[in-house]
Amino acid sequence: MRARPLSRVLTTALVTALLATTAAGCGDDEDEGLVVYTGRNENLIEPLFERFTEETGIEVTARYATSSALAAQLLEEGSSTPADVFLSQDAGALGALQDAGALVPLAPEELDRVPAQYRSSEGAWVGVTGRARVLVYDSAGVDAATLPTGIDGLLAPEYRGRIGYAPSNASWQAFVTALRVTRGEDGARSWLEGFKANAPQAFDNNVLILDAVDRGELDLGLINHYYVYEKAAATEGGLDALNAEIHRFAPGDAGNLVNVTGVGVLQGKADERTARLVDFLLGEEAQTYFAEVNKEYPLIAGVQPDVPGLPALADLQGPDVDLSQLDTLEQTLALLEEVGLT
Amino acid sequence: MTRALQVRGLRKAYDAPVLAGLDLDVEPGQLVTLLGPSGCGKTTLLRLVAGFDSADGGTVEVAGRLVEGPGAHLPPERRRVAVVPQEGALFPHLSVAANVGFGLPRGQRTGRRTEEVLELVGLAGLGGRMPHELSGGQQQRVAVARALAPGPSLVLLDEPFSALDAGLRAQVRAEVRASLHAAGASAVLVTHDQQEALSVADVVAVVREGRVVQAAAPWEVYSAPADLGVATFVGEAVVLRGEAVGKAVDTPLGRLAVGAVLHGAVDVVVRPEQLDVDPRDGLPTVAAVVADRVFYGHDALLRLRLPDGTEVTARTPGSAFPPPGSSVRLGCRGDVVAFAG
Amino acid sequence: MLPAVATALLALAPLVYLVVRALEDGVGTAAGLLWRERTAWLLVRSLLLATAVTAACLVLGVALAWLTTRTRLPGRRAWVVVAALPLAVPTYVAAFAWLSFLPGLAGSRGVGAFVVLTTCCYPYVLLPVAAALRRADPAGEEVARSLGLTAWQAFRRVTLPQLRPALAAGGLLVALYVLSDFGAVSIMRFDAFTRVIYNSYSSAFDRTPAAVLGLLLVAVTLVLVWLEGRSRGRAGYSRVGQGGPRTAALVPLGRTAVPALALVGGVTAVSLGVPAAALVYWTARGASTSLDAGELLPAALTSLGVAALGALVTTLLAVPVGVLAARRGGRLPRLLERASYLGHALPGIVVALAVVFLSLRVVPALYQELPVLVLAYVVLFLPLAVGAVHASAAQSPPALEEVARSAGSSPAAVLRRVTLPLAAPGIGAGAVLVFLTVMKELPATLVLRPLGYDTLATRLWTETGVADYAAAAPYAALLVLLSAVPAWVLTTRTGERS
Repeated sequence: MRARPLSRVLTTALVTALLATTAAGCGDDEDEGLVVYTGRNENLIEPLFERFTEETGIEVTARYATSSALAAQLLEEGSSTPADVFLSQDAGALGALQDAGALVPLAPEELDRVPAQYRSSEGAWVGVTGRARVLVYDSAGVDAATLPTGIDGLLAPEYRGRIGYAPSNASWQAFVTALRVTRGEDGARSWLEGFKANAPQAFDNNVLILDAVDRGELDLGLINHYYVYEKAAATEGGLDALNAEIHRFAPGDAGNLVNVTGVGVLQGKADERTARLVDFLLGEEAQTYFAEVNKEYPLIAGVQPDVPGLPALADLQGPDVDLSQLDTLEQTLALLEEVGLT
Repeated sequence: MTRALQVRGLRKAYDAPVLAGLDLDVEPGQLVTLLGPSGCGKTTLLRLVAGFDSADGGTVEVAGRLVEGPGAHLPPERRRVAVVPQEGALFPHLSVAANVGFGLPRGQRTGRRTEEVLELVGLAGLGGRMPHELSGGQQQRVAVARALAPGPSLVLLDEPFSALDAGLRAQVRAEVRASLHAAGASAVLVTHDQQEALSVADVVAVVREGRVVQAAAPWEVYSAPADLGVATFVGEAVVLRGEAVGKAVDTPLGRLAVGAVLHGAVDVVVRPEQLDVDPRDGLPTVAAVVADRVFYGHDALLRLRLPDGTEVTARTPGSAFPPPGSSVRLGCRGDVVAFAG
Repeated sequence: MLPAVATALLALAPLVYLVVRALEDGVGTAAGLLWRERTAWLLVRSLLLATAVTAACLVLGVALAWLTTRTRLPGRRAWVVVAALPLAVPTYVAAFAWLSFLPGLAGSRGVGAFVVLTTCCYPYVLLPVAAALRRADPAGEEVARSLGLTAWQAFRRVTLPQLRPALAAGGLLVALYVLSDFGAVSIMRFDAFTRVIYNSYSSAFDRTPAAVLGLLLVAVTLVLVWLEGRSRGRAGYSRVGQGGPRTAALVPLGRTAVPALALVGGVTAVSLGVPAAALVYWTARGASTSLDAGELLPAALTSLGVAALGALVTTLLAVPVGVLAARRGGRLPRLLERASYLGHALPGIVVALAVVFLSLRVVPALYQELPVLVLAYVVLFLPLAVGAVHASAAQSPPALEEVARSAGSSPAAVLRRVTLPLAAPGIGAGAVLVFLTVMKELPATLVLRPLGYDTLATRLWTETGVADYAAAAPYAALLVLLSAVPAWVLTTRTGERS
């Protein structure tokens, strides 16, 4: 080992590094473009941004990470943030930014396009799409008419060992949080204890639950609605060909929780361009895209996506929960651990 | 002419005092050996002179320049003091020539000077080798060449021959001594080997408990040691109790001549080579019995018991080698050294 | 000294952020968060996991190192390289791979997390131990054998103690890795300490609990680093004597060759085979989905580029700290070295947010630019390089540096002309280790990458985000393959030099 090979290695490394990084970094100076922080998946949202640019001529550069990491980052960045718009995967992150005063109130005409339930009461953010909790059942083995009208019905002895759930899934945890918010800690604990006593089957994720129900191996499953529509889209014959079917609880039941993807504009960034992006996301094209690609619920009345069986906005009757309040996951996890449902 | 090295009152303590006010002079072109037992402070002295450590007190001047003193500590690279560590410590990643040229200004590192110094230590033409391709003796000579190359004011050698085997040691020692003299270098060589100290040095400085107790030409240190400790340390010695009367002393070996005038009880130092077994020339003798003998080839050591029970050691030619139990006559040649006890 | 202090201050930067955030809501709130039962419970779980993984890695690392350096294991030279390759597998890829074959591994008992972390981390022990075994003078073992000890006894009583620094350093890296890892524990659904930190961002959107818990992790790190220092012992480990040590004679395995081969083969098959099989399976299953080479190549180049830059800068900054710690004992150098470990135990997201916080206050113009991203890598991975520099600088005898000083070289010149060239192989190995780790890094890259930057890791994350393993597989495969090259360099560098 002489000195020369090392210095050669170092030089090569440095040159490679500079070449590679400058190659990747060109086209980086987009002063005119919008910077969007988003927790949505790049593969799914990028085509929509491209459509927006085509339509408006406004470039969009996005930073992709989890909604929570981005919310924390935005809070750290404060007024120095390069971001103009935050498109979050869930309402809690937007609620946190709203509380910190990081978001500008949106124009009333945009807010009014979405039902009050799915937007900030202070007008700081507005929902773009909805995701609902549902009960799926084995239509061959279970009579739909006998299914309960609320989650409390699931605690009945007849369902013992027949319900599947995904304990590590964030939506399941959000449902438990909603339960805590609506019923208080003791109410939530008593439901969870009853649920546990009924020996539910734990699954790794929602897809596995749906597959088990569809094959008739499992009678009931607590999952998110869009898994069913995605499976239908991938199945010949569509929704009708599936054995698994969706059951909705009575209006207002905690089992119908609807969480949203929402958008907010950062403080000091409100201008025509940000307004146009918000307008675009709430527009018919974007709403249809979200519904058709992601199978999520449009939150604008009158949008007619080509997703067979997807219910209308008015039929989504979730519990009366302020979505900004679903921000106490740590207590939820502690409660789940206490009850022993992990 | 300014001295190559002048050390005055040098003090250094780590956990315990190591140097306790040491003085030392090295004249230009002189090779001084520091001789002392392990732990006497000689390596510490080298480190302070080289600038690897700083002193607690006292001064060090190299070629008339204060390099170490109260409030002064010149870093090693500015002292023009070259070192040759115990095991040579050649840079394993550099060739012999690059090792030798290490201390030269950038432009001269590959120039003639390197070849010149290699020639001086008798290794001309080996500049392209790597250190591990050389023998131990060669490595040591490269280390010396490396030290000499920049023309330092002073060269410090720290037990440079201890890692070599005995056969090689004498030869390398002579070669290094010749190289140092040929380069006109002033040098300090640390050793605990008496023979090495006496054979290479212009001046031997005996160090004990952090002080130089005697600094003089090798023969002077040997024949006229400053005290009993020096006498016994610099060479084999028979120490006898005696009673001095003027320039003579009464000992179990009879009345012996001393160089100085003394009176009363003394310790007498007799070198084994002064004792002559069965002399033929009328030297006064006493009776003795051979107790033991060790044969070295060129000579032999006899352990002899005198009538009063005292044991002495005599060096004899390999040809005179009486077996244990033999009765012999024992005489003592030349002046002996005595110290008031 | 000054550059070392600067580097250490850089490493301590996240601490400033954590303290600021933790005390934002007052000391009472912070203390309240610390005293919750769940915090303690999760800390204990994390420590148990770290202990189990570290112990398993020490056993596997030593066994494999010994078999591949000291015995006549069939195919020994190939095993040296293969055994270290799991270093190239990111824990999140390994975790996905295991789950696709054995879904039952996930869960709160931690078997899955243990398996994934152990199979991904044991090279952290294997590499330094193998290097130490090659360095260790076999004379000691020979003397022990001549005094009547069996080969095993000699290994245990003579060789193993010599391996203590390597074991301590490797074990520390494994333990810190386990404490800071989020990928494996979240995918394997093991409720560990890092999950609370992530949850407090992802649910409460409250940075105070995350910061308080981060500080707790820093405290745990300090204890671990202190323990490592103690277990290193006080003895000097640089070899006394001239020249290089002899190479040890290789132990013939005889009939034990079969179980030995089974062990080495089994460990590597499990560590490399499972991820490889899963990647092949996913790729094959998704053969219909067309692979977008137009995205793969730039992502690969960016990965290589940022990893090279990260490795270079981290190593350069690690040099003063490592050299100082190796050359000058004493309180300050030791303190500086230990400071460099703090960032390593913190989850990537915490370090990333700290860098966001600080860079916006100090160098706002560079925020979300390459230099700040590289800075985050430095904070996260400094100890990997510092350890390597320290170990290799400690090996070169101080006498060489003194000679160089006397020959007229200033301390800086000595560093450049003697210390660094001698330590170069070890420092290079450290740089490669950082390179590998940066390739795999995800959370800090997501937060701090310049807009529009995509690395293999971020692309992989995007693809798995839509549960599209088939589309993700090529990214994962390329990530593992590209990392395998440096991992291979690492083993040949630290090892089989003539």
